[in-house]
Amino acid sequence: MSAVNGNLALLRPTPQQTPEPRRHLEIAPTRAQRRARPRLAHALVTLGGIGVILVAQLLLSFALADGAYEIAGLQGDQRDLLREEQALDEKLELLGSTQNLTANAEALGMVASGNPVFLNVATGTVSGTGSKSSSLPNNMIANSLLDGSTVIDPQTLQAARDAEAASGDTGGPTVVGATPTTPGTIPSPETH
Amino acid sequence: MVINVRGSRRRLALTVLVVFAIVAVFVVRLVDIQVVRAEALTSEADKRRINTVTTYGVRGSIVDAQGDVLADSVERFDITASPKNAQLDTTWMTKDGERVQVPTTEAVQAIADLTGADPNALYAVLAQNRDSDFQYLKKAVTLDVFTKVRDLQIPWVYSELHPARSYPGGAIAGNLVGFMGTDGPLAGTELKQDEECLGSTNGTSTFESSADGVRMPGSTIVQKAAKDGGTVHLTIDSDLQWYAQQVLAQQGTALGADWATAMVVEVKTGRIMAAADWPSVDPNNVDGSKVDDMGARSFTAPFEPGSIIKVATFASLLNEGKITPTTQLMVPGIYTDGLPAGSSIKDSWAHGDIPFTATGVLVNSSNIGTAMLSKKLSLKKRHAYLEAFGFNSDTAVDFLGESSGSVLPVSQTDSITNLTQQFGQGMSATSAQIAGLYQTIGNGGVRKPLTLVDGCEWPDGTWTEKPSTEGTRVVSESAADTTVKMMEMTAQEGMIKDIIRIPGYRVAAKTGTAEVAENGRYGDQRIVSVAGLIPAGDPQYAIVVTFAKPDTMRTSAAAAPAFSAIMKQVIKTFRITPHSKGAPAIPTTW
Repeated sequence: MSAVNGNLALLRPTPQQTPEPRRHLEIAPTRAQRRARPRLAHALVTLGGIGVILVAQLLLSFALADGAYEIAGLQGDQRDLLREEQALDEKLELLGSTQNLTANAEALGMVASGNPVFLNVATGTVSGTGSKSSSLPNNMIANSLLDGSTVIDPQTLQAARDAEAASGDTGGPTVVGATPTTPGTIPSPETH
Repeated sequence: MVINVRGSRRRLALTVLVVFAIVAVFVVRLVDIQVVRAEALTSEADKRRINTVTTYGVRGSIVDAQGDVLADSVERFDITASPKNAQLDTTWMTKDGERVQVPTTEAVQAIADLTGADPNALYAVLAQNRDSDFQYLKKAVTLDVFTKVRDLQIPWVYSELHPARSYPGGAIAGNLVGFMGTDGPLAGTELKQDEECLGSTNGTSTFESSADGVRMPGSTIVQKAAKDGGTVHLTIDSDLQWYAQQVLAQQGTALGADWATAMVVEVKTGRIMAAADWPSVDPNNVDGSKVDDMGARSFTAPFEPGSIIKVATFASLLNEGKITPTTQLMVPGIYTDGLPAGSSIKDSWAHGDIPFTATGVLVNSSNIGTAMLSKKLSLKKRHAYLEAFGFNSDTAVDFLGESSGSVLPVSQTDSITNLTQQFGQGMSATSAQIAGLYQTIGNGGVRKPLTLVDGCEWPDGTWTEKPSTEGTRVVSESAADTTVKMMEMTAQEGMIKDIIRIPGYRVAAKTGTAEVAENGRYGDQRIVSVAGLIPAGDPQYAIVVTFAKPDTMRTSAAAAPAFSAIMKQVIKTFRITPHSKGAPAIPTTW
């Protein structure tokens, strides 16, 4: 067995003819070159920058969209307010019409003056000869926009004043008709 | 290691080929989308994204000299519905601040209550137009009503803007302002100034909107800008205009007249302060007026004016040096000299021979005396003077449908008209032309173009269309001033002296009672007028008042109270201070 054993040659692996790994040769960079080489930090900064820009753009677009709703809302408000202004203007023009003013003047007991008379404020002299005043004429110039609802009723006005006077012992300054009960009554301070 | 060079080349070629193929596919697709189908796709996209809206230009206002509004654009709203989207049994609406489902009839009733429409008619609109997407429920409601209807939040109810016109002064200057029809202006300044000033044009603009209808910022593109109209500034004073119309209405009614006009003109400038017509249309309610009353008779209705024209005759004669205020003549009771057999000129009162001065002829308004004096000047020259005073041609106002009246050409003037036209018969004129005559006399003989429109003010504050104010001299200053003095004698001594006297003021006036030709002959109808200047010492305003065909009184005394009232109002409105010194005293007889 030993012979067998002796015959047994130690099987050594034939050294393989493996090729020499290729040497990776490179030119050693100079210090300056090494410094100029891109670093990881640069990549991170760039990527981060892009990220920040994207986020900023997103936020900006949010804000813009939000602003769009606000603008739309405000434009709607503006349109409504303009319409309201026009409606009030229209009402004011109608209330200021000569027909309405004469009707109200008449309701309040005003009369038309007679001959023209002038008072010179500087000298206190009166020029011109006055004549009897006459009652205001009944308006004969049609205005179909007026339905009579804008004419003051003196009795309602008086009642409102009386009510104010009755409840006016609060010590504060009295403003007659501060809460007008009829359209057309104007709140005015009570002066004597 | 063996590198299969050939194999790697093949792979590379394949890769390149595949890449190119993919790129080619994309390119083809790109060209298809961007070039071949570009238009269709773009419009498809726009349809989903872009809204086109009409922007409304606002029609300009008409205001008076003080800026008081006579005609204004207002917003009204048409309430519309989509019957297709409405269910006839129940619907949603907001009631007392809560969304509730209610029977459709209740929603319809709510709309009817707010708009004043008939609920049954509204329901019928919904029931009978089941396939329709658009039906009017109520047109032209005010903002109040519109807001309340909108607050009902009924899903099938919509609205649209309906620009409208409002005339806050009603019939005040309605004859001058005119009115609008459904398709545009129909009369007066509304029509006359439509293209030059008032008219607006609507524009269009587009914007992109998000899925929920919100306008995307910066996406608005104005395709066509809306243009607002300008404001027409009239020269009239609307309060004075109201007063004049009121006086005409009162006196006209009392007299049973057919119509009446009154004009007030500032003599130094020719600006018309009032041009009143009675009856006058209320532009808010055009249907309430007769067609004949819709215009401005002061410009469109010529009539034989009668003796108020004598002022032109006397001014011409004075200017030619043919007469002086004291020229003496013996006026007979009837005049036939040079007239065809059977024709004669008479005065309005029976008289024998009267030794009148020229002033006396004017004061007593003697037709015979005027005819006798007229003969001192050739017909050709007298005709030229009448035309120079503005007869036979439109005034500078050029009012819509204005008439130029008529003075016959010299060649067609017969021997009667030759003389009668010098006292206002056989010729015709409008109130505006007569006002122009008195303006010329009051302004020292210089005729100014009558103006009704001060100009057009555009939204940016610029003005256009400022009228010319250049005058033309018709007679000399002394001839004009002398005529005023003679007219002042008329106011002092004429038949209406007591009616038109105002203590503290000097007034120059002339009356006219013209016969009206009907069916080719003069009947017993009259057109009565008073024209005058205030204050006579330095005339500022010319006033002409005319009543046509009064029933109860057919002399110029019928027009005098209205003339007097308007004159007082002119004094108050323009604050003319009293001045009574220096009144002339010219003998009327010799």
